[in-house]
Amino acid sequence: MSVATASEVFDVIVVGAGPAGSTAALLCARAGLKVLLLERGEYPGAKNVSGAAFYGSAILNELIPNWWEQAPVERYICRRDIAFMSSTTSVALDFHCAAEGYTTPPYNGFIVLRPRFDRWLAAQAEAAGAFLLTSAVVDDVLRENGRVVGVRVRREQGEIRGKVVIACDGVNSFLAKKVGLQREFHAHELSLGVKEVLGLDPAIIEDRFRLSGDEGIAYEYLGAITEDVHGGAFLYTNRDSLSLGVIGQVSSLVERRKRPYELLERFKAHPAVAPLVRGAKLREYSAHLIPESGWTMKPTLYTDGMLVAGDAAGFCLAAGLYLEGMNYAMQSGLAAAETAIDACRRERYSARALSGYRKHLKQRNVSTDFRAYRHAPAFVNSARLQNLYPEVVASGMEQLFRVDGSAKRKILPLARQLMRQYQLKPGELLRDGYQVVRAYLW
Amino acid sequence: MVMTTHEEKMRTVRFRVAATPHIVVNSDICRASCSIHACVYVCPANLFVPLDDGGILFNYEQCFECGTCYIACNQEGAIRWSYPDGGYGVTFRES
Amino acid sequence: MHIAVCLKHVPDPSTVEVDPLTGLLAEDRVLYMLNPADESALELALRLRPANGTVTALSVGPIEADALLREALAAGVERAARVWDAELGPLKPALTSILLAATLRVIGLPDLVLCGGHSADRGSGTVPALLAEQLDWPAVTDVTRFEITEGRALAQRRLARGARAESEVQLPAVLGLDTERIRLRQASLPKLMQAQHAPIPLYSLEALDLSPQDLHFPAMTLHEVMPPRPRARIMFAPDATASAQERVAQILSAGIAGKSGQKVEGGTPEQQADAIIDFLRQHGFLEQRIAS
Ligand SMILES: Cc1cc2nc3c(=O)[nH]c(=O)nc-3n(C[C@H](O)[C@H](O)[C@H](O)COP(=O)(O)OP(=O)(O)OC[C@H]3O[C@@H](n4cnc5c(N)ncnc54)[C@H](O)[C@@H]3O)c2cc1C
Ligand code: SF4
Ligand code: SF4
Repeated sequence: MSVATASEVFDVIVVGAGPAGSTAALLCARAGLKVLLLERGEYPGAKNVSGAAFYGSAILNELIPNWWEQAPVERYICRRDIAFMSSTTSVALDFHCAAEGYTTPPYNGFIVLRPRFDRWLAAQAEAAGAFLLTSAVVDDVLRENGRVVGVRVRREQGEIRGKVVIACDGVNSFLAKKVGLQREFHAHELSLGVKEVLGLDPAIIEDRFRLSGDEGIAYEYLGAITEDVHGGAFLYTNRDSLSLGVIGQVSSLVERRKRPYELLERFKAHPAVAPLVRGAKLREYSAHLIPESGWTMKPTLYTDGMLVAGDAAGFCLAAGLYLEGMNYAMQSGLAAAETAIDACRRERYSARALSGYRKHLKQRNVSTDFRAYRHAPAFVNSARLQNLYPEVVASGMEQLFRVDGSAKRKILPLARQLMRQYQLKPGELLRDGYQVVRAYLW
Repeated sequence: MVMTTHEEKMRTVRFRVAATPHIVVNSDICRASCSIHACVYVCPANLFVPLDDGGILFNYEQCFECGTCYIACNQEGAIRWSYPDGGYGVTFRES
Repeated sequence: MHIAVCLKHVPDPSTVEVDPLTGLLAEDRVLYMLNPADESALELALRLRPANGTVTALSVGPIEADALLREALAAGVERAARVWDAELGPLKPALTSILLAATLRVIGLPDLVLCGGHSADRGSGTVPALLAEQLDWPAVTDVTRFEITEGRALAQRRLARGARAESEVQLPAVLGLDTERIRLRQASLPKLMQAQHAPIPLYSLEALDLSPQDLHFPAMTLHEVMPPRPRARIMFAPDATASAQERVAQILSAGIAGKSGQKVEGGTPEQQADAIIDFLRQHGFLEQRIAS
């Protein structure tokens, strides 16, 4: 905890105390820099929404060994279940892993609740020496001779100077847009997530989901669960509640005239989901945007005196099998911090001096992951993957398992019939197969 | 209570209402040039109420500050959007 | 002029949930805030403060109350102090007022104390009057508007059924405010940063030279808090000696005895009318006519 006044010049000003901002502030403060961490909420996390399955345990463990022993975590993820849905049927891939590192430290993933987790993480940055200021909205950057030299907080005498500004202000990043690092987004590049936390007795959760102790499970749903809206759904087990939500591409919500909270209600009523949530009681409803288009909406990542990280830079992998933003937020936050630390050591803050950010992002696997999965979002949001294939798979399984006295069908003839029924052309299938391979395997 | 109405959902959310609105809708533009009324469907807080004359009635008090409305709205200048003053607006406790 | 304002942190009513089975508050779901009436009092104090005056913010409460004292410092009060002791149990208005009075004596008596009249959580509204009693000062409660001139406070009070009264008191005095909601000013950035880590002095019982005996009041003990219940209705019980048929008839008549009375029969219409008027007079439904 440091004492600071508004008149001094900070080495680093971090805007936004989400996972990106708090990790960036933590690392900078540990390097001995004077850090100001600004957050517009009443407390860090007050404005933030995620699933939240957090797959950054190993990253955080490097910074805070055995962090899960002191942090507010709900359960570690030992099972993942990916379900393809039609309106009546679901076919699921159940992944149960007891391998080293999944159910043992550092654990592969944890389910967390953001208002609690973010508050804890920001407190770690504070403990490392960063000055955390909440209830502070940043409206703009300060510029001198074209370079960023600080920020303007929406309060009297709100100008404050810093050598490097790191914008970690989330998906709507007004800062990146103000500086011209990011353009306005289109409705097809963003998804809206609506979420509920439903209270449920821990004993019932463990019984119903076959979990013991601190084990948790993460369900992801594709297909008819969002009806004809492009998107998906999730359900995660917390200690004494469930987190569940529906995610829909904004443009397709508009096109289909669907209200997000009605999709959420229908999701809970789906025959595959209803028994999982039975008897639970609503504790909180929330909503937030997600940058979906990954690499293609990546802004220019730095300019004179400023870096962009986390959702503000589009570092959120939202592509079917993956909904990972918090871990990339942290990784990019760390890369930005490393760049800022270098800059402060050399006392150079120009765009050129900050260009090392690319290298740090690569070392932290952020850019490599996003380049690798750059084709996934478009493919995932294609109508065939969204609606057709889950329906085909679900209906195929339904026919495969149906016992009604008629002759058993073998898989191949059934597949041929399904292709006829859904008017699938072999060429298309081949092309989509290639897309899957390109999106996920290479 | 698993299935809930929208009103029941909104009752679980805490808002510290600021004295001035952070979002202002220019209903004249909605009336004059919008046929889609996207905001009415996408807003997760259901804050946009269509009027008979094609205009929009908007209340800012229970807003999630998500930004969906201004992304979905395709009429330049219809929505003036910013965050509420520091410490005000929505405060999530568990999400 | 030196002004002291008493602040209380209360649960935000929109976050208060009571478990219907246990009747207990869901503690982990509650968010605290500055009591709205106290917020108004604080803002009024800041507006009232003359150039050479000061405002001191006081709060009786555990460490969480520091947050609202910081809010007050950021908004511009000169001084803040928190009063708390591990010995203290649940706060009752009488206890709070003793602690506040003792603190004011230790840190220096002001010319004026402003309190929000009612707190959002319990709201008995008695602290201002009890505090005045402790200080042996005059108090005006339910103040909707006031003015300070030449060492006197002229206050307008809200009375029952919309009535208003004006009172004037000599300072030093305590005012319990019942104004419209007045929002606290936005703190400037430098002040907000300054307040963030400003040390807030804590006054324990020892520092206030109080002993547990001083805080003991046999005069008033809280025995039990009970949820409101509808008033019991007296049920009609039929005469047990009557036959079943008669009892059913009695129950159906809801215990109302059959109406007895006299019939107005015979005579001219005028006479009949007079008989009715006499009856109404006898039973007090009509005023006696004043003999003309
Ligand atoms: C419904 C949903 C489910 C998700 N599920 C998952 C999941 O399971 N796993 C996962 O890894 N990711 C998930 N994500 C994505 C993840 O939430 C984000 O990628 C992640 O939060 C990004 O972190 P960040 O720090 O970049 O931004 P944020 O977490 O959005 O933080 C930005 C911070 O900046 C503050 N801020 C913004 N503007 C200003 C300003 N002008 N001044 C001051 N402060 C400001 C905000 O209040 C906020 O605290 C999900 C997202 C949603 C919406
Ligand atoms: S706010 Fe935008 S989308 Fe909504 S009615 Fe007006 S112009 Fe149309
Ligand atoms: S920001 Fe979100 S919650 Fe607020 S009005 Fe717009 S769409 Fe609705």
